[in-house]
Amino acid sequence: MILEFLQKLANYHAPLRPPGAIPEDEFLNQCIRCRKCEEACPYDSIVMAHGDRGLKVGTPFIYARREPCYLCMKCTEVCPTGALQLLKREEKRKVRMGTAKINQTTCLAYNGIICRACYERCPIYREAITLQNEIYPVVHQEHCVGCGICENVCPNEPASIIVYSSHG
Amino acid sequence: MTRFEEYFYKHLHLLRRISQWAAVALIFLIPFLNRHGYHELMGTFYSIRIGHLDLMDPALMFQTILLTKHIPFSALLAGTLPLILALVLGKVFCSWVCPYNLLAEYVAKLRKLVFPQKKYFLNHNPKPQWYWIVFGLVVTTLMVLGIPLITLTSFPGLISSEAADLVLNGTIGIEILLVLIVILLEFFVAPHFWCKYACPVGATLALFRYKHTMRVHFDPKGCTCDSVKSLPCNVICPLGLDPRHDGIYPYCYNCGECIYSCHQHHGKSLSFSFKAAPKKAAVSNGMNIKMNRPIKEVNA
Repeated sequence: MILEFLQKLANYHAPLRPPGAIPEDEFLNQCIRCRKCEEACPYDSIVMAHGDRGLKVGTPFIYARREPCYLCMKCTEVCPTGALQLLKREEKRKVRMGTAKINQTTCLAYNGIICRACYERCPIYREAITLQNEIYPVVHQEHCVGCGICENVCPNEPASIIVYSSHG
Repeated sequence: MTRFEEYFYKHLHLLRRISQWAAVALIFLIPFLNRHGYHELMGTFYSIRIGHLDLMDPALMFQTILLTKHIPFSALLAGTLPLILALVLGKVFCSWVCPYNLLAEYVAKLRKLVFPQKKYFLNHNPKPQWYWIVFGLVVTTLMVLGIPLITLTSFPGLISSEAADLVLNGTIGIEILLVLIVILLEFFVAPHFWCKYACPVGATLALFRYKHTMRVHFDPKGCTCDSVKSLPCNVICPLGLDPRHDGIYPYCYNCGECIYSCHQHHGKSLSFSFKAAPKKAAVSNGMNIKMNRPIKEVNA
């Protein structure tokens, strides 16, 4: 159990912020913790932080492995203070929630098994993730929006592709 | 006094409780409706959205301005609308809507049941400076540390947020302990101290008061309880104020319980009024003798 806990600790990475979020230090001051983004999210992706996250209590997070962001931008429409900047659904390429990184030592495709899960489900299709030699998935950071769908669909446990939040 | 006023004062307590419980129902109903696809009503008491109209806690609007030095126009509008209500009717949000106040009122009642032998001294109206000092401390801490302190100490927001959490995810955050600690303090030490002195939401609303804001008006002519030892208006006041004297503001949140109890005891000396308070000299004229007579203790 302790080993499991330590493993979790070692693999810890900050959860994602919803699309349109302004830089983290400004975000913490601007977000008034009103929960409208959580209530607006049709996929139940957004979860509010609890007191165990200290001063980030009540701010919205997306745990990609639990439920990723599908970039519908409904949360940006209801934010009353502009902590989430208004974005249209067509502007999904502007979103920068984080960037995905592939762990090549565990990724199935790099270990002789054909797997296209992340490549096929990426919303910036054939741009953010491409297949090298039609086998090996490669992330192109300049196109990656960090929605977390790839991390969510990765068949490995823990996921071989992880989205690292650009919000620290 | 018009017939409407008489009807209103007669049923004031009931109307207020209906309004308060409706607010409690709403904080559970809104996330429930949202989860089932109805999005015309959204949010918590931090900020509520009706259709496309946002309403926002003015205290949070000022916090955002202080912390980030800029604010979108929509948020400015959202925070100003409740302020207009406060400018006309006073802190009625606290007494008619806030779920924490409802809780605190029942806690104070429970305290009276559990410790009936406790003597309560006659209500007095503290100097308004204390109110502003506490609020000033909150704002200073917020500015110096750069943390959203008002968000964390806004109990209506915190409670409704946790209620939404319960409905949406089935969890409750550890931050609800803050409310529980204050409730325990109120139960064992000082009833209703949070609403009276500490709440930054109420303090922000109290800032917006001018001479024509609704206030509790006392007319010494109709006061019939002079000989009674425990004055009903004093006993019932949830904040421990004395509406017969000046200086109940900025503490008083216009709940109207004193007016209700006055009318229950066939008095007619208390009422809501939009007129400017008469000058001090005029009030004390011929009234001081009666009102300043010391009544030492009141059995609550």
